[in-house]
Amino acid sequence: MLLAYAQLSLRAFSAIFAPLFGRRGWRLSALFDQMVGIGVASMPTVALANFLLGLVLAIQGAGQFEKLGATAMVANLVAFSVLREIGPLITAVIVIGRSGSAITAELGTMKVAEEIEALNVMGIDPVKFLVVPRLLAMIIMMPMLTVLGEGVGLFAGWLISVTTLHLDPVFYVANSVDAVEQKDLFTGLLKALVFGGVVGTVGCFYGIQVEGGAEGVGKATTKSVVTSLTCMLAMDALLTTLIYFIL
Amino acid sequence: MSEPRSPYALEVRGLTRSFGPRKILSDVSFQLKHGEILIIMGGSGCGKSTLLRHIIGSLKPDAGEIYIHGTEITKLDDQEMSKVRKRFGMLFQTGALFNSLTVGENVALPILESSDVSPNIAELVVKLKLELVGLTGFEHLKPAQISGGMKKRVGMARALALDPDLLFCDEPTAGLDPVMTAVIDTLTVDLTKKLGLSAVVVTHDMTSAFRIATQMIFLFEGKVIASGTPEEIKANPNPYLQQFIRGDADGPIPFKLSKDDYFKRLMQT
Repeated sequence: MLLAYAQLSLRAFSAIFAPLFGRRGWRLSALFDQMVGIGVASMPTVALANFLLGLVLAIQGAGQFEKLGATAMVANLVAFSVLREIGPLITAVIVIGRSGSAITAELGTMKVAEEIEALNVMGIDPVKFLVVPRLLAMIIMMPMLTVLGEGVGLFAGWLISVTTLHLDPVFYVANSVDAVEQKDLFTGLLKALVFGGVVGTVGCFYGIQVEGGAEGVGKATTKSVVTSLTCMLAMDALLTTLIYFIL
Repeated sequence: MSEPRSPYALEVRGLTRSFGPRKILSDVSFQLKHGEILIIMGGSGCGKSTLLRHIIGSLKPDAGEIYIHGTEITKLDDQEMSKVRKRFGMLFQTGALFNSLTVGENVALPILESSDVSPNIAELVVKLKLELVGLTGFEHLKPAQISGGMKKRVGMARALALDPDLLFCDEPTAGLDPVMTAVIDTLTVDLTKKLGLSAVVVTHDMTSAFRIATQMIFLFEGKVIASGTPEEIKANPNPYLQQFIRGDADGPIPFKLSKDDYFKRLMQT
């Protein structure tokens, strides 16, 4: 299973980089369709989830900082947490539930309907034709959605702090800017990039592996979501540890 | 890849394949001459679809050889097999059309993906291929907007897109009404004659099989138990074959089958 996943991932990434070495390019219309399906269509949900978590984070933080008489520190907490952790994480969770599962279900249904075998028979590589546009769209759109999510999360923190905690709006922004470094932003985006790769490859892998009819598609979709979440959290822990000790 | 000359469009020698302890194909051998239509028939689970999947290179056999136009394909790698595949077309049981693409885009797909043909030329070829299967003007519809029979005709147009020498059809008339079945049969016969194709059709529809076949083989429990022209098959006294042709509910293939009998029969093959 792991070997098959590694083989598929290797083939997909080779196909992604193949145009750089003069091979036939990506199917841009398919890539664009996937970017719209994975990215643009996910924007409202990603924004809503990050907005709510930004609110919760500010309120929860305020409760603790109030005891220390340092309510203004909410800005630091929200900025740091949203950029480094909450933004990439919650965006990935939404994308896994919305688009990762959809990729598995779509490819699984195509497998059941003999469409993937039809591609093989026509001499068309299903990895290049089906996996590459989905994986590439996931890798491109996950950081973009994360930037959106982070922006909305930060705004939510600012909004609740200004309206409920009566913090000065400008002071809050200045505090936030002081609290974070460029590194924090890049850490979050690096995580988003890796999460995009993980969710894309796992989603496609389980889709292409589907056996049996509708039941097989259902089982594969469940496995895809569970595996994507687990791998995403594992990669998050790994990257956080590496970045903490190296940078 | 040099291509040996062969009197046969397709030749299968001693094909054997097991899945675990279960032998699905046992020493299957047959030949298809150029320009002929070979029917592979047999009951559900007899191994006919597995046989077809070996012939198109989706599965690899445990033993035996498959020659397509004289080229042995069982040992070919993906790249070499891809070249062989460009010389045959396949009509799948469900049509296997891509729902996200229009009818025209489905037919154009193998043309555009296999070469650097301009979209205008591809569009022209698509029109010609759809005309061949009697679906002129349908290129802008999505597969969900056409009937099951039409999907199969589009599947046939797509199978013919690269002007193959060999056409494979997996249960082409399954789920179709008698009129549409006759349409698909007529198309298969006409196109093989007009385009000089050879065809292999897997089916258990006896009316359809006798209507189009020039050669037939009958698979039972993974073995070829009868082969010949339609007349020879009709005259063959094999009781399994005769029960199958007549469509009797009871006979050597029993009406009631216990679970033990079923497993015993599977393990025997």
